[in-house]
Amino acid sequence: MLPKTADIVIIGGGINGTSLAYYLAKKGIKNIVILEKNFVCSGATGRCGAGIRQQWGTPENTSLAMEAVKLFETLSEELDWDIEYEQCGYLIPAFTDEFADQFSKNVRMQKKLGLDVSYLTPQEAKDIVPDLCVDNVRAATYCSTDGGGNPLLTTYAYAHRAKELGVKIHTKTEVTDITVSGGNITSVVTDKGTISTPMIFNAAGGHSQEIAAMVDIDLPINSYRHQILVTEPVEHFFDPMIISFDYNIYFRQVKHGSILMGCSDTSEKPGYDTTSTLDFIKDITTRSIKIMPKLKKLNVLRQWAGLYNVTPDAMPIIGDVADVGGYFQAVGFSGHGYMLGPKVATLMAELIADGKRDEIIDRLSLERFKSGNITVDSSVC
Amino acid sequence: MKTDSFDVLVIGGGPAGLCACAELSRCGIKVLLVDEGPVLGGQLVKQTHKFFGSREHYAGVRGIEIPDKLQEEIDEKLITVYSSSTVVGIYPPNNNVLIYRDQKKVEEHSFKYIIIATGASENMILFENNDLPGIYGAGAVQTLMNQYGIIPGKNMLMVGAGNIGLIVSYQLLQAGCRVKKLIEAAPSIGGYLVHASKIIRMGIPVQTSTTILKAIGTEKVEGAITVKLDENWNQIEGTEEEIEVDTICLSVGLAPSYKLAVHAGCKQIFIRELGGMIPWRNSSQETSVNGIYIAGDACGVEEASSAMIEGRLAGLNIAKCMKRLSEKACNEKIDDNLISLDKLRSGPFGERIVEGIRKLEGKSYE
Amino acid sequence: MDRIKNHPILDFEKNEKITISFEGREIECFRGETIVSALSVAGITTLRENVKTHRPQGLFCAIGKCSSCLMEVNGVPNVRTCIVLVEDGMTVRRQNGKGVLHED
Repeated sequence: MLPKTADIVIIGGGINGTSLAYYLAKKGIKNIVILEKNFVCSGATGRCGAGIRQQWGTPENTSLAMEAVKLFETLSEELDWDIEYEQCGYLIPAFTDEFADQFSKNVRMQKKLGLDVSYLTPQEAKDIVPDLCVDNVRAATYCSTDGGGNPLLTTYAYAHRAKELGVKIHTKTEVTDITVSGGNITSVVTDKGTISTPMIFNAAGGHSQEIAAMVDIDLPINSYRHQILVTEPVEHFFDPMIISFDYNIYFRQVKHGSILMGCSDTSEKPGYDTTSTLDFIKDITTRSIKIMPKLKKLNVLRQWAGLYNVTPDAMPIIGDVADVGGYFQAVGFSGHGYMLGPKVATLMAELIADGKRDEIIDRLSLERFKSGNITVDSSVC
Repeated sequence: MKTDSFDVLVIGGGPAGLCACAELSRCGIKVLLVDEGPVLGGQLVKQTHKFFGSREHYAGVRGIEIPDKLQEEIDEKLITVYSSSTVVGIYPPNNNVLIYRDQKKVEEHSFKYIIIATGASENMILFENNDLPGIYGAGAVQTLMNQYGIIPGKNMLMVGAGNIGLIVSYQLLQAGCRVKKLIEAAPSIGGYLVHASKIIRMGIPVQTSTTILKAIGTEKVEGAITVKLDENWNQIEGTEEEIEVDTICLSVGLAPSYKLAVHAGCKQIFIRELGGMIPWRNSSQETSVNGIYIAGDACGVEEASSAMIEGRLAGLNIAKCMKRLSEKACNEKIDDNLISLDKLRSGPFGERIVEGIRKLEGKSYE
Repeated sequence: MDRIKNHPILDFEKNEKITISFEGREIECFRGETIVSALSVAGITTLRENVKTHRPQGLFCAIGKCSSCLMEVNGVPNVRTCIVLVEDGMTVRRQNGKGVLHED
């Protein structure tokens, strides 16, 4: 049975929703309700590429990710749950001079923020990943504290611990409307009933713009299909996640032994379609083999698709808004909600529970798009 | 992309798939038949027992003889067979299909009509050491002994007294294996009485309300411990019995293999009576995706006889859509098969299936 | 496991005799049978090691569904030996772990 009232209703049972619920509950907030229209981790989190990196193109994304890594380093311990977090590194080769130049600038910015990152020659890159084909590689960047985790385990762990702290999670419950009175949130209407609440948190991932529209907030966000495949498992033969912005692809051998690879199709139109396509499988296998020819021997086991919730500058939109009291959000992660979500959740919990506003919240607020003066992070694929 | 000269793709060359091919080829329709195994026939090639029913259901014919009879019905010129090949994906909206041919080379095709006849796979049950070598599914036991002529073990414990458990026990005796005990968790034998009385006559002890607690051994099975169950399916302490066996055969039910249908976007429905989650289909065997049909155990675990009829129905309905046979002739044949199916399901063992079909018909995704 | 000598219904015609190699051991078998069937007759029931528990695993489903029989065949890992037929001179190895992707 859906409760009649709540102190806060969190919309979305992915990494953002469950981690916020956990951190809020830890701060002593009672009557927290998570509404999930499908099941926990059924959306973008459970379908993502599972990487956690700090090598970004903007200071905002970089410093946020560095904070996120600090959090991930102790997260298995904090949640008492092995989330398969590993710092296997990220290797980013540049196949054109343009990217080589861009990476050199990025590394300077990242180092300034204190990140331990190196700018490598092709041979140095090959020393890290011997199976990498460096014939056309101009340079590469490498950060050994980048890595990845298991998004499903992480989300289940947060959800489980949140429940232990009294959070109520209602799955198969779809939000159909949100009512506002006198400029403040008053209730959330679902297909299973209505909950009176003074606060909501939009953590709806690929569908965040639909939730925002219910309170007349127009998010500058589009959702795009993002496809991923996974191969048969084999003994470990390379450590880092490899990303190429030239080939628009990333891949990593996960703990289980499978290679997980994904890419965004730049011709993809905005929408909510998550069916798998044949073109993707043909395209990504061709491209990945150019970077690592040995991959051609592997069989593909599965493919799937999820939604990237993309903002104009590829950085998330977080915090509260001026016009609607009690509305909070962490949306538009542009494909990086798993790696940034938990850190953002701690900041949002401080804002909601303690009224403490970290300066990054203002820098990543919805307001930034009003000036029209934005810097786009191009380190996205 | 290969431009295809085939009209229809049939996935799976078991009873349902072969019957679909027979009907399609009779109407002059060109078929590509893909099967993962090295020989056609599916589970039929392992069935040494004679089938029941009436003549149209191959009564009195041994399962192993049916694939040849069915292949005689198929015009060789109209059918291309890829054996040892796997269909790895069906992509909407154009039904593009990836085939891993000979487990070596990927081919891409496209079909307007596809029949999924991929059968079912064996269930597993929980007990200690259930991963030891020497614990086989009933299908694997049949494959070893009836297809490749190998005695799967000297002393066997059979778990499950449904029809498959009973029939395989009898086949094991024929192959020269001793079935030391047959246990069944339910309070009574689930399969046909004729099968049960045959193996009881042969001296196999049958224990109902009994399950397996543990397999004994480190490298392979050396024994098993069974335990009695009370009326609430709880283990009764003190009733453990150790039995010396080198093989354990699990005959504990089947689950439909329908992943390809899900990949193709077919809507699913949960119907316990038909084996759990299955793709929804209408009485023409067509799924919620236009042009994709499903037949046999893949859309509800039943029997080879009904799988064959469902295969024929799928083939005939495609022939009707393709207008390769007059509508009248098609409808007559379809009606004959529907009546035949009703007859098969009319006995007491068909009640569960009929209830499942009723639930299926209560839902529509068209 | 032994081959069935007399069966009341079935007659097992033997094809040409060929040889495969299992971990360096020569195994005689017949064309037309699967790798698992050849290994079973030779008394080999442990086909691989479980990746997580390192316990022995043998044949289970025999229709290519359960992955219990994955082995390295002619240097290729993760081959479903229950549905692949023997070929003369084939080399078969157990996978202790996940199977290794070899160089050409």
